[in-house]
Amino acid sequence: MQNRWIRFVRGFLVIKIDGDYMERFFNMCRMHEIDLWEIKKEQNICMCEAYAADFLKMPPLLKKTGTKAHVVKKKGLPFYFPFIKKRIIFFAGVLLCLIMLNYVTKYVWAIEYVGNLQVSNDELSDFLEQESIHYGMKKSSINCEEKEKKLRETFQNVTWTSIYFEGTKLYIEIKENEKSEPVQFETKGTDIVANEAGTITSIVTRNGVPRVKAGDTVEKGQVLVSGGVPVYDESQSIIDYQIYDADADIFIQTPIEYKGSINSGYPVMIYTGNHANTGFAQIGKYYIDGLALWDFAGKYLSPKKNETLYETAIEKHQVVLLDSIYLPVYYGKIDRKEYYIKYFTYTDEEMQSKLSENFEKFILGLQEKGVQIVEKDVKMERNSIGMELNGSLLVVKQTGETIEIPRNTVQEDETKE
Amino acid sequence: MSAGERFADAFSLPKDMVVNATLLHMVGASELFVENFKGIIAYTCHEVLIKGNHMKYCVCGECLTIEHYSNEDMKISGQIKEVKVIREA
Repeated sequence: MQNRWIRFVRGFLVIKIDGDYMERFFNMCRMHEIDLWEIKKEQNICMCEAYAADFLKMPPLLKKTGTKAHVVKKKGLPFYFPFIKKRIIFFAGVLLCLIMLNYVTKYVWAIEYVGNLQVSNDELSDFLEQESIHYGMKKSSINCEEKEKKLRETFQNVTWTSIYFEGTKLYIEIKENEKSEPVQFETKGTDIVANEAGTITSIVTRNGVPRVKAGDTVEKGQVLVSGGVPVYDESQSIIDYQIYDADADIFIQTPIEYKGSINSGYPVMIYTGNHANTGFAQIGKYYIDGLALWDFAGKYLSPKKNETLYETAIEKHQVVLLDSIYLPVYYGKIDRKEYYIKYFTYTDEEMQSKLSENFEKFILGLQEKGVQIVEKDVKMERNSIGMELNGSLLVVKQTGETIEIPRNTVQEDETKE
Repeated sequence: MSAGERFADAFSLPKDMVVNATLLHMVGASELFVENFKGIIAYTCHEVLIKGNHMKYCVCGECLTIEHYSNEDMKISGQIKEVKVIREA
């Protein structure tokens, strides 16, 4: 018994048989190795199916048995060829499309990062760039196992990596070490020096030897806490220095200058109300949009000044097949608004208000950083282009910059002692 | 039992081969496979009369269709109600 596909490929006929000796006809067909199937008889009408090639062998049998056969329907692939022949361009298009689809699916058209929390997407993108992995490259040229190894070597906190393809999308999947141990720094030996000149208001030392006390006036760059801790012998003379990383909370009262200015004239974008809503399509490097047509129409219908400015918003989509095959085909909308720039002038009150607002923001920023404002002296003056604000502040802030202990410092100290 | 059948039994040979018997294989009451037969004597949607070796088989039922008919086998499908064996005199 042959299955339907073989029958379809070989091509078969639905035949209507009339006559008194149909059974004899069926038996003769059988003797001549003519296969028949779907033999149905309803009210003296008998229908059956047979291979198209076998139908040519039937006439002598029909003649012998006195039956008549009429072809009712032709089915199967051989009978579709004339249909295909008439629509050759359509089928050629379909075939070309499949060939192109097969071609583009050999390349990478999208990259996605999965599971990264500590390592940013930008860092992973940089890594891929270093490894010469980019959009539009052949999938077969990427050695996933090798890249996985390199990825683990590059990022220390990455414990597991998987680089794989789904369709034309490249997935970079990583797992990070969530329980990262605090980084153990080697003791290099550092001092804390003042960032700015001022008066020390408080100093709490955790590591090292304080060189100043609250109330001392210091200069910028002066050592506040030294990382070299002297070791005394029984006669209270220094025999050695132990090197530590100085650590302390030091607060300093220091003046800060603030300068802010504003121009009396300011630009404002004014939309003309002319919108251009159009679409675009991009296939690989080839790009086409409706703006050229829009500009061409606009040029002749309503000529504009040369200095036309546009604000353009583009919405871009990539064509995806079956959720995973990303094609190098993009489409989207372009929304372009026409505008021009007009200059307005601030009044004195407006300028004062703007400058005050900026100054308040500056103060708020300092307070958020933990800076206490002790005094403030503000002056607003009008100048040739607008107005300026000069502020002098006296603040209490945390200070201290860590620098490595210069090699000769300890020796000098020893000499002094 | 005929001599051929006894011979087949004695040597554990398939009887249909030895005595040229018709083989009927039925699946439920809807399908019947027939092998080693000589031909169809009569066919209507209620009855199929099959000629075997010295025997006739009558398959009765409703909406009977010969799904497949070739030199080797045939398949009858439909609502089979009865399969009768008619011994030739």
